[in-house]
Amino acid sequence: MNQLHPREQNTSIRTLFLVSLCVVLMFVDQRFNHLEVVRSNISLVLAPLRYLVSLPVITVDWANEWLSSHTDILNENVVLKADGRILNARLQKMQVLQAENTRLRNMLGSSRKLADQVIVAELLSVDQNPYRQLIEINKGTNDGVALGHAVIDDFGIMGQVIHVNQYTSTTILISDPEHAIPVQFIRSGTRSVAFGNGSVDQLELRYLPATADIEVGDELVTSGLGGRFPADYPVAKVISIAKDLTRGFVTVLAKPLARLDSSREVLVVKPNNGITPE
Amino acid sequence: MLNLRYFVIFLSLLVGLILMILPLPEPVQVYRPHWVALILIYWNMALPDRVGPWIAFIIGIIVDTSQGTLIGQHALALVIIIYINQNFHQRIRVMSLVQQAIYVFGLLVISQVIIVWVEGIMGRPPPILAFFGAPFVGMLIWPWVFIMLRDIRRKASIN
Repeated sequence: MNQLHPREQNTSIRTLFLVSLCVVLMFVDQRFNHLEVVRSNISLVLAPLRYLVSLPVITVDWANEWLSSHTDILNENVVLKADGRILNARLQKMQVLQAENTRLRNMLGSSRKLADQVIVAELLSVDQNPYRQLIEINKGTNDGVALGHAVIDDFGIMGQVIHVNQYTSTTILISDPEHAIPVQFIRSGTRSVAFGNGSVDQLELRYLPATADIEVGDELVTSGLGGRFPADYPVAKVISIAKDLTRGFVTVLAKPLARLDSSREVLVVKPNNGITPE
Repeated sequence: MLNLRYFVIFLSLLVGLILMILPLPEPVQVYRPHWVALILIYWNMALPDRVGPWIAFIIGIIVDTSQGTLIGQHALALVIIIYINQNFHQRIRVMSLVQQAIYVFGLLVISQVIIVWVEGIMGRPPPILAFFGAPFVGMLIWPWVFIMLRDIRRKASIN
């Protein structure tokens, strides 16, 4: 029994040390960027686990493809071909417009380039912390992804990359309570900032003047201010406007256009060199 | 059989980690029990000399990375509950499974309080359901975790 006491004391000291270490680590992680290296290395080790976890979904997708019948594939092929033709036609028009736009911009002396470089990535997993809205994607620094790159799906902006290692990266969604994105109303040109509020289908625009020209159904695009997000990508659509008569502001709720909770294929957009201040 | 022992412990914790990053439908997510904490509590109870605060700390850092929380947040919670558990392990071992489960609920609530507290300091409002939901589910599955890990430990004759 005598032996028990020194050991217990030892554990207490050890625990005390570890507890203070945790507190210091949290403080450093919150205030500075030094722990990014640790995070990136540990998540590198975790990358195989993430692949393993997403394996069932991948298998189901693969099996679906394998088992879908001949006629299904033929039908799909017809639809896709039609889609392809329509898109091609649009693209031709786009190319003309783009050329024209570039010419006009050149005439104006603007250095902004139009074509953004994109990387196609797939969703690996959704972070399970109920207080955050983070997703893991399967592209990392090896594929050219870097901190701050915007992530979009076919419908609009999803978020931006906040942690990255060689093979995977973490994206914070625009609906995360800690995220804010500079936006602009297409119709009126009013600029604002859209805050996430933790629920996947809502963004909040605070402190808009009560006189601002906003209507339900207005579309929001990125304004490109701040340099993080490329300009003119669709972000959200206004779903409600709450006027508070006691204060001079309105609070506007908008629904993100990107399918934040269901998109599996995403695109990582490298910001244009012409407009990024960094 | 030193290697086998650590291998089994490591493997069980790995399974716990996988269970914690496994995608679940949104509404069920807040009820996900803290698998890693349950498994750590078991190993600490069975082998307090081998699985102690240090391992809890390392695993905690890994959980933090996988969950996108602050580095040290889960680690702090795990270190503290493992410390409490280490002081009680002899009494807990002889309890019935039901009593054990209630005790584990207490530990999980403590860990939850620490995690939510840190979130609160950083100004993120924690959802109420997540608070007691996850420890409650943890309490319900504790007997199964206990029996399964005990059988594994006996089969592998880890003492």
